[in-house]
Amino acid sequence: MGLLSKLLTFPISAPVAGVQFSLETVERVVRDELVDDSAIKEELMELQLALDEGDIDGEEYVRREAELMQRFREVRYWRERFGMGVTGGPVRVQHDEEENG
Amino acid sequence: MDELMAGDRSVATSTAPPDGGKYVYCIVRSARPCEFGAIGIGGEANRVYTVHHEDLAAVVSDTPIVIYDPTRENVLAHEFVNETVMREHTVIPMSFGTVFRSGDDVSELLRSTYEAFSDVLDKMRDKIEFGLKVLWDRERVIATLERTNEEIRRLKDEIERNAQNSTYFARIQLGRLVESALEEMGNAFVADVHASLRPVAVASRSNKPIGDRMIMNAAFLVERSESEAFDEKVKALSHRYEELLTFKYTGPWPPYNFVNIKLKLERAD
Repeated sequence: MGLLSKLLTFPISAPVAGVQFSLETVERVVRDELVDDSAIKEELMELQLALDEGDIDGEEYVRREAELMQRFREVRYWRERFGMGVTGGPVRVQHDEEENG
Repeated sequence: MDELMAGDRSVATSTAPPDGGKYVYCIVRSARPCEFGAIGIGGEANRVYTVHHEDLAAVVSDTPIVIYDPTRENVLAHEFVNETVMREHTVIPMSFGTVFRSGDDVSELLRSTYEAFSDVLDKMRDKIEFGLKVLWDRERVIATLERTNEEIRRLKDEIERNAQNSTYFARIQLGRLVESALEEMGNAFVADVHASLRPVAVASRSNKPIGDRMIMNAAFLVERSESEAFDEKVKALSHRYEELLTFKYTGPWPPYNFVNIKLKLERAD
């Protein structure tokens, strides 16, 4: 039996499970990307460094900073949609009803 | 200064501060109310003062309930307050953008986290942080390597001599040699900087370098009494490496990199 027919007759459950897994993975990756601001933070720090080093002027800094702030707000929006924690904004001390030891 | 303030005084002192939102900059030990001037975040010269619980105080300014974007302007305002406060106090810095709905909520934070704050304030007493970022000029370092590294020099000469015949692989090999020599050299620089500063620092922390020219992004916790000695060491290092490295030395900062109190906070909408 050739390799191709072997592949074609391979128990179907495995590839299907694989497909499902990868869809979930893709979904999770997309979601992680939507709610992850670490890349934006990194870019902001690079931008800051570029300004300090004189590689860009104040005008360009302000323009690019505004873009990054917009992206921060988008991440915040998605984090809120997914019920995840966000930094900044009003907070208060959290009181657990159920203290676990 | 007194005259300038006189006009505002009736307003500032005759009415208690409105108990609206409070932006929190840092925590200090003080049982007495303190004033730090009209330097608050938000661009409206908000006065910066303290909210207390026993001998702990939160340094705050009044704010509408908003989310502060981490723009350069806002971050500098946050920083400037902390710098001002730390001239006279040991501070635990709060993370940027922390807003409480009322002074009572702030007192509640101090009350519920009293022990952790108190403990860290004792540990951080008379200690300050310095930031040290080291950038290199890659081209210059490579030029130096080509002069000083026997193997690299030989291979490079060889490639140049048979420009036509030199193989693709010889070039690849040269590239690899240079990369690994660069990495080795970068590590040696960083190790030397750490070794020089360790005797005058209490602790250090390495953060991820920013961009592709940075080889070191570290924070050092230093006793106030040792800050001159630390300065001297950094100057000596930047002198020793002035041909190849750029030292970006900042501070004193509050101990941002050495305090990690997990506050149990939730959103208050």
